[in-house]
Amino acid sequence: MTTIGHKTWPKLTSRNEFRFLADLVMKRSTGDQTLVALQDQQSGTTRFANNQIVQNVDTRRGSLSVTVAFGRRHGTASTTDFTAGSVQQTVTKATEIAQLSPEDPEYLPPAGPQQYSTPPTTRVETTLAGPARRLEYANEAIGQCRMENLGAAGILSSSIATVGVAASTGLFAHEERTDARFSLTVQAGEATGWGAAAHRSIDHLRVQERTLTAINKAKRGLEVRELPPGRYSVILEPSAVAGLWSALLWTLDAKDYDKGTSALSGKLGQPIVDRRLSLRNQPDHEDLLGIGFTSEGLPTLASDWMTEGVLTQLSYDRFTAKARGIDSIPTLDAPCLSGAGSSLPTLQELIKHTERAILVTNFWYIRAVNPTDLTLTGMTRDGTFLVENGQIVSAVKNFRFHESPLQVFNRVEAFTNPAEAITSETGKLLVPSMRLRDFNFSSVTRF
Amino acid sequence: MPNLNQDELAELVLKRVVASGAEYGDIRILDSTTQTISGEDRRIDSIRDMQDRGFGIRVLYHGAWGFAASSVLSLEEAPRVADLAIEIAKGSASLAIDKVKLADEPVHRDRIVTARRIDPFAVSLERKTALLLETMEYVHRQAGIVRSSASLWARRDRKLFVSTEGSRLEFDLLAVSGEYDATAIHDGRFASRTFNTPHLRMGYELIEDANFLAEAPRIASQAVEKVKAPTTAPGLYDLVLDPEHLSLTMHESCGHPSELDRALGYEANYAGTSFLTTEKRGTFRYGSPHVNLVADNCEPETLAATGYDDDGVACQRWDIVRDGLFVGYCTNREVAPVIGETRSRGSNRADSWGSVPIVRIANVGLEPGTATLDELLAGIKRGIYIEGHGSYSIDQRRYNFQFGGDAFWLIENGKRTHMVRDVVYHGITPEFWGSCDGVADRSHRRRYGFITCGKGQPGQSGWMSHPASHARFRNVQVIGGQAGS
Repeated sequence: MTTIGHKTWPKLTSRNEFRFLADLVMKRSTGDQTLVALQDQQSGTTRFANNQIVQNVDTRRGSLSVTVAFGRRHGTASTTDFTAGSVQQTVTKATEIAQLSPEDPEYLPPAGPQQYSTPPTTRVETTLAGPARRLEYANEAIGQCRMENLGAAGILSSSIATVGVAASTGLFAHEERTDARFSLTVQAGEATGWGAAAHRSIDHLRVQERTLTAINKAKRGLEVRELPPGRYSVILEPSAVAGLWSALLWTLDAKDYDKGTSALSGKLGQPIVDRRLSLRNQPDHEDLLGIGFTSEGLPTLASDWMTEGVLTQLSYDRFTAKARGIDSIPTLDAPCLSGAGSSLPTLQELIKHTERAILVTNFWYIRAVNPTDLTLTGMTRDGTFLVENGQIVSAVKNFRFHESPLQVFNRVEAFTNPAEAITSETGKLLVPSMRLRDFNFSSVTRF
Repeated sequence: MPNLNQDELAELVLKRVVASGAEYGDIRILDSTTQTISGEDRRIDSIRDMQDRGFGIRVLYHGAWGFAASSVLSLEEAPRVADLAIEIAKGSASLAIDKVKLADEPVHRDRIVTARRIDPFAVSLERKTALLLETMEYVHRQAGIVRSSASLWARRDRKLFVSTEGSRLEFDLLAVSGEYDATAIHDGRFASRTFNTPHLRMGYELIEDANFLAEAPRIASQAVEKVKAPTTAPGLYDLVLDPEHLSLTMHESCGHPSELDRALGYEANYAGTSFLTTEKRGTFRYGSPHVNLVADNCEPETLAATGYDDDGVACQRWDIVRDGLFVGYCTNREVAPVIGETRSRGSNRADSWGSVPIVRIANVGLEPGTATLDELLAGIKRGIYIEGHGSYSIDQRRYNFQFGGDAFWLIENGKRTHMVRDVVYHGITPEFWGSCDGVADRSHRRRYGFITCGKGQPGQSGWMSHPASHARFRNVQVIGGQAGS
C-alpha cells in the first residue's frame, strides 16, 4: 500500500489497491466483459468574500464504477463504498442491468492493454497542501486588497486524486493527479477586476501577481463610460479567447459531424479560422492539465487538431472511430492554440500597438444561440476597457455579444504568444491574446 | 450503512464538535441512489445506477465556518473528519471580521417522506427501455427527422440531519423526470424540438401520465416545421410565454437576484452579485402590478419542498415580489440576521453529503392572474408565442438577459399562426417585468423547474421548481439568432 506524496491519511486508493479491487470485481463478474473505473479524490476549497472566509471545505470522495456486458447488452453501477459487500452489490447491480438491457448496436468491448505516456499529472507540493496552505494564500490575496481598501472575493483550492481504469481484456491504467486553483474578483465600489490560475502545482498559482492584476483592473474601473452597442475592434485577453474557443471545441464531435448536426459538418480539411492559427493537444506540457488516459483507459495523445487554420481532426467515440477505421483516437485534454508569423510577445505590446479597441478581460455566461452557424452570446465581465492610441483610457460598461467563433476568428488582426487561460466555465487552455476586428456587441448593460 | 448505526455516528461526531468549544455543529448522513437511462437514435446507449453515500460535518467556531466530508462511513473516519472540520473552522475564525450569528430556529424532530404511487426503482428496466425505444421509433417515423434522444431519471435521497441544537430530521425523498427530443435537417440547417416532464418529487406516475408516445408525432412534426420555418424580422414584439419557458426566465431574472448571499457579495467571484441590493427591499419596482412572485417551499411535489432545509429550518411560503414591488429574499440562518430578519426563510441546501449548504433559490413562482390564454393572445396584433427552453444568458448582476426558446409561433391579429425560427429576445430585468400586462389563470399553471442550477465554488447543482401560468409582455426587443444580428 502506498500513499500519495507524504500524506499518511486519508490514503487514497493506490495502484496496488486498485489492482486488488479490479481483480475482485473481475472475479465476481460473470459478464463477457467487465470494466472498472476508479476516481478517489480529496479536495479542499477556501472561499472568501468581503475580505473574510465565508466557506472552508474539505471533502474526500471515492467512487468505483463497474460496467458489465453480455454480448452487446451492458449496464453500469457505481458506489462510493469500497467494502467487499458493497463492491459485490455493485457488480450484481451492473450484471442485472446488463442482462435486462436491450442490445446496443454500438457497444464495443473494452480496449485491450495499452501503452501510456506519463504526463506530469502530480506535483508533490500540491499533495502536501492542506487547509493551512490554502488559508495562507487566501489571506495573502485578502491582505493585498485590504491595503488598497478594496474588497476581495475568491477561492483557493487544491486536490489530490487517484484515477484508474481496468478491464477483463487486460487493460489497466492508474495515475495520480493534482490540481490547484486560484481565482479572485476585486471590488472597488461598482467596479470589478478579475484574475485566475489553475495548475498541477500549487506553487505556480502566482497569487500575488494575479491579485495585483485584479486590483489594477478594479481601480481602473472606478470611472466608467457607456459606449453604444455596435461593431468594435476588440482585444481579447486569453480567458476571453478561451471562452470562445471552448465553445468551438465542444462542436468537434465526429458523430454529430457525420449526421450533419454540427456547425462543422462538411468542413474537415477546410480552413475554418485564420490561416495563422493552429491548435495542438499537448498532454506533456507542464502548464496544461494533461492526463495519461481517458475514462475508457485509452492513452492520451499529442495531436494536431487545426493546422494553419484548417480543421484536421474530430473528436471520436470508439464506435465512430472504428467505423471510420481510426485506430488511435486523438484526445483534447491539453489544448494549445498558437499563431504563426508576426506575433507580438505580450498583451501589453498588443495594447501598445492598438489605435482603438475594446479590451475584454473575460466573458461570462457564454451560450450557443444558433447551433447551425455556432452563433454564441455572452457578456463581458470584470474588466472591460477602451483602448486608444496604445493606452487604456477608461473602463466601459459591459456589453453583450453575438458572434460565431467560425466568423470572428477569421478577422484576426494581431495576436500574442500563447498564455495560460482559465475561466469559471471552461477548462484550462494555452491561447494567445488577440485583436479582432468588427466584433459584434449587440447591447450594453447597466454597469 | 453496513454495521454502523447512523445515530451513533452522529452522536460521536457532535460530541467531538461540542467538546472543541464550537458554538454550533451539524452532520448530514446521506445515501443517494440515482438511475439514468438514456438513448439516442433508436438505441439505449447507457443505463447507470449510482449509489452515493457519505457524511458531511459543519462546524461554526467563534463565528466562522468549517466543513469536512467523507465517503468512508466508518468509526475511524468519522472522528478524523470531525477534527478536520473543527481545524478548518478555527482557521476561518483567525480571519473573521464579522462573526456569523445564526438566526434562531425551533428544534425539530421529524421524518419527511415523498408521497409516491409508483416507486420508480421498482419499475422494471424492460418497461423503461421499451418506452424510450418506442418513443424514438415514433419520432423517426416523421420524414425529415435525422436524430433523436430520450431519457428517464430518478433519484432517491435517504438523509439524516442532526444538529448540536437537538434537531433530528430524517428524509426519504424522491424525484423523477423524463424527456426526449427530435432533430430535423433542412437546407443545411438543423433544429430540435423537445418534450419533457417537469422534475417533480413524486413517483413513476409522473412518467406514466406524461403520454410520451401520444406526444411523439407532434414533437417530431414540429421539429420539421421548426427547421423549415421562416425567420422573424428583428424589432419590438408582444410576447406570450408558456409556463415552461417562464420557469427559466423567472429562475434567472428573479430567482437568482433574490438570493441574499448574492446581494451580500458571497458569490461575487463566480455566480455574481445582484441588482436587488438590500436597500431596495420594500421600495424597488421590480415589475408591473400584475407581477406577484411567491416563494413556496411548502407546495407538495415541488423540488424545494423537502420539509426542512439543510440548516434544519422548516420550509415556508413568502413573497419575493408583491404587486410588482420587490419585498423579500431567499435566506439561510447565516444571512437572514444581516438584514434584520429574525428567522431564516429555509433556503439553505447542499447538493450532496460532500457539499456545504448554501443559499438557494426557493420554489419561486408567478402567481396566476385572471385571463385565459385566448384572452392573452387576443390582445396582440403582432407578436410571438414561445414554448420551452432554448438559449439563455444573463449578466452577473442579473440586469441584461437574453432568452431563446424551444418553439416559436407568430401571433397575428390575436391568433397563433405559423412557426418561426431563430427567435431570441433580450432586455433589462425590471423593464421586462414592468412590461407584463397579463397572467393567465390557475387552470394554465404548470410546475417546471431545474436540477442543474449552478452556483458555488466548488460548483453545486441546485433543485427548485418555478410554477407559472402563461404571461404576456409588451414591446420586447426580439433579435435574430444569427451572428451579427
